[in-house]
This record gives sequence, structure tokens and C-alpha cells, in this order.
Amino acid sequence: MARRRSHYYLIAAAVLLGWPWLTDDKFLHHVAVLICITAIAAASLHLIIRTGHVSLGHAAFMAAGAYVSVLTVMQLRMPWPVGLLAGTGAAALLAAIVGPILLRLTGKYFVLVTFLFGEIVRMALVVTPALTGGANGIFEVPPPWPFLLSNRAYYYFALAFAVFGVGLCARLLTCEYGRAIDAIREGERLAECSGVPVIRVKVTVFVIACALAGMAGSLQAHFIRYVGPESYSIVQSLNLVVMNVIGGMTSLVGALIGTVFMITLPELLRGYVNLQQILFGFILFATMAFLPGGIIELGRRLRGFLRARWAGAA
Amino acid sequence: MSLLSVEGLAKSFGGLQAVADLSFEVGESEILGIIGPNGAGKTTAVNLVSGVIAPSAGRVTLADHDVTGLPPHVLVERGLVRTFQATNVYAAQTVRENLLRGAFRQIYPGLLPALFDTAAARAARAAAERYVDEVMHWLDLAHVADQVASGLPYGFQKVLGMAIGLAARPRLIMLDEPAAGLSAEETDHVRDTIRMVRARGIAVVVIDHNMRFISDLCDRVLVMAQGRELARGLPQEVLRNAAVIEAYLGKRYAQARH
Repeated sequence: MARRRSHYYLIAAAVLLGWPWLTDDKFLHHVAVLICITAIAAASLHLIIRTGHVSLGHAAFMAAGAYVSVLTVMQLRMPWPVGLLAGTGAAALLAAIVGPILLRLTGKYFVLVTFLFGEIVRMALVVTPALTGGANGIFEVPPPWPFLLSNRAYYYFALAFAVFGVGLCARLLTCEYGRAIDAIREGERLAECSGVPVIRVKVTVFVIACALAGMAGSLQAHFIRYVGPESYSIVQSLNLVVMNVIGGMTSLVGALIGTVFMITLPELLRGYVNLQQILFGFILFATMAFLPGGIIELGRRLRGFLRARWAGAA
Repeated sequence: MSLLSVEGLAKSFGGLQAVADLSFEVGESEILGIIGPNGAGKTTAVNLVSGVIAPSAGRVTLADHDVTGLPPHVLVERGLVRTFQATNVYAAQTVRENLLRGAFRQIYPGLLPALFDTAAARAARAAAERYVDEVMHWLDLAHVADQVASGLPYGFQKVLGMAIGLAARPRLIMLDEPAAGLSAEETDHVRDTIRMVRARGIAVVVIDHNMRFISDLCDRVLVMAQGRELARGLPQEVLRNAAVIEAYLGKRYAQARH
């Protein structure tokens, strides 16, 4: 079994590393970069969702990472790695300040207050044009290194970060810490009475997740070469939640499937500009109606179906 | 020297005095019963001692350390564990996973050792897994170890709730109505289980309103009514106490007359 699993990993690695050389289409490479970066943000939001909180302000932490990274590079004339660390650190710091307050709220109150927090951050960016460029944002952001102006090169660069970010989320969820995270979601009071320091675990997970979102923000800003407040509005926060819901909230793989789905679908529908939004909404609606557990349920059903067939034949 | 000592514990919610001037002690491997009619403040008393809610006044001492107002997860580290009256299991998980979650305090080595799965982390997990197997064996849960909790009969779920508490290796366990809603046979099983827990050197505080269950099981009994102590002593003495008979039977007679 373990050997078969390592075969899957090898095949996945070969596909992820090899496919960019099968095409010279820059647009495909561009979409792939966006998927890698967004996968980090969606997977990090999945961490927070696993503690039982749906955050509608996750994009604010991407914004913190993006702006601090861009300003560090452009205003302080620092190399990009310093910008990345500063951006990631700023998002983590912001989470460490607001987390202990926000995470005492539950259910819809947490959703509402994180939504408001996201809007406050966006407004703060709009009303400080001297520093952030206000509603216009900041143009001509330099790439991390000149060779990364190539989309194909940036794809490998972003892929490495995605493997690190998503891998960290996966590790957190599968080690003993993950057992505490799931215990908190399924029975907070019971977990606390088994010795789980509930608030401390929630804040730690929140800080790690928001740091990863900040990292994704920095990667995105230096790839698109622009930062603006509208990139990190409620729409982006909501998209990250939808990625988790539509892929399947119960597993990290669901967040990844949701990311691929939500990034590629609008691109595939580009040929139908007039109908794009309607089709997009309809497909989302149909997916949720027929696969309430998310797209990942399709795989489970297929596996169950094949197993039943196989058992019947034998 | 007593293991747990409670002095002058009090809690009021707004104008309602839920618990007032409550004092009691629990010795090493002793079974103390707390009994009283509905609304007597028994569960509030357990919530106060186990840190689920903070007392308005009073002092809780565990093994000579003042633990008043400490949160539940810290009290678990100090060896005090409690169970809940209802919904006290992880319904979607297997029995074994339920117990492993109860053993969190022993398994969890810290964030970084957990992430890197160090030798110390692996040793702690292996030790906890052995202990969890042992607990399942005592409580007669080993044969359902891989079944999902929500599929088990209610009596098993009550025992599982106790097992989650025991998985934390407590010195004292507080059980909130462990026999509520059980058949006579299941109640006997729970009683035998509690006796066995005590035989392993763990002190027990058990709450119930069933006089018979408590008097068969406990070394000493504390009777509560309207948030206060009504009587205390050996089960047989307390059973004959006039105030206790009135609190129990008087109320029932009064209800019957309406």
C-alpha cells in the first residue's frame, strides 16, 4: 500500500513538473501560477475552518502580506526575500493581535465580525493614498528576481511555495495537533475538559494560517506586479470560502479541488462573455445541489461504485 | 490529607444564588456522592470545581495547591477530570479515537515535536495508546473499539464518556449523573465500573439524584438542596436524616396532591 502511494506521488510530481513544457501558451502558465498561489490561501483558510470558524476576512491577511512586501521592496529598497518575510510576519502579527479577540466569538458572530474586519482593512488601504496609493493601488511592482518575468519560471517558483504551504497545512492536520483541532470542532467543551487549551490552539492555528495567507499575498503581488485594495475585498474572501465549500469542507484535498475549480472555470467560460456570470452561478448552484459534501464526494461515490462492481464481479 | 478540598464555594447568576457556602473534602481513592433534588445546584458545584465556570467566592484546593478559578485544561494537567451529563462523546468518531482524544494531555508533546514527529513524541503516543487499550479493557469497551460512537447503545455511550475522562489519567474524576436514563442492568454495570475505578486508586465524586444508586456506591454522601448543604455523612446516616426525607419525599407528596 505504501509503495503504491509513493507511486502516486511520483506520477503527480512528474505531471506538475513536466506539463509546462508541453505548451508555450503563456496564458495557461499564468492560470497555473494563480492556482498555486490561491491554493496556499484556500488551504490556510481550511485550517481555520477545521477549528470550527468560517472566516470572511481571510483576504485582509493576504492584503497585509502583499502591501507590506511591496512597500518593503519599493520604498525601503530591500531585496524580495526580506519583503516576503516582512509581509508574512505582518500578516502573522495582525492575526496574533485580533485572533485572541475574534476567536472568542462563535458561529455567525465570528463570520460577521471577520467580514467587518476585512472591510476595515480594505478601507484603511483606500484612505491612506500617500503610502498605499489609495484606491488606485501601486503599479510597476518588481518581480522577486528578473528571471521570474517568465510565467513558466514563476510557475515553478510558486509551485515550490504551494508545496511548502499546503504541506504545512497537511502536516498540522495529520499530527497530534490535528487531533486537537478536530476535537475542538466536534466538541469544544469536551476537548477543553480533556486538557486541550482551546483558545491557545485556535489562536496558534489562526496565526499560522494568516501567515500563509500573507505569504500568498506577497507571491501574488510580485507576480501580477500590482497591488490594489479591490483585489482583497469581500469578493476575494468569499471566493476562498466558496473554494472550501465547493471542494468539500471536511478535507484539505477539497480545498485544493475547489481552488482549481474556482480559478479555471471563469477562464473556461471566457468565450461566453455575456453569459459568463450566469453560467458560473448556475454551475456553482448545481454542484452544491447535487454534491452537498463538495466535489470531493464525487470521488468517494465513484470509489464506492467501483468497489461494489468489483465485489459483484468476484 | 485530603486530595480535594472545597471551602465556602459560592456562585450567583444575577439574583439567583445557585450555590452558597458549599464546603467538602475528598480523600485519596474515596467515592463521595453528591445528591439532591433537581435544581439543587449539583451540576453547578461540579462546574465550579472543574473550572468550567468561575466561582463568585470560595476556595478550591487540589493536592495542597490553590486551583480556584483555573480553566479546565489546566485542572486536567493537575489530575482533575470531569464528565458531562449529556453529549459527552465525539459522536462521529470510533471508540478508540474518542479515548485518544481524551488522552491528549499525555500524547501531545508540543507543536514542534508534533510537527516533526520526534522520538519523544512517538514514545508518548505509544505509551498513551497502550494506556487507552488498558482503559478500554477495564470498561469492557475493547470489543467495540473500532465502532463509531453514535452507533452504540446509550449505556455504552455513558460508559464511553467516563472512559474519555479516565484516558487523561486523572487522580480524581467527577461524574455528572453517570447513570441517568439507564436501565437497572446498565446502572449496575456503571456502579461496578466506578468501584473498579476507585480500586485503581482514583478518587471519584459522583452526582446523582437516585438515592439507592448513591447509597450503594459511596463512602460518604453530601446532600444539597437549593444550592446549600442539607446534610452529610455515611450513606445510612444521611438516609435517616429527617431534613433529607422531607426534601425528597415531602416534595414528591406535595406534587402528588396537585
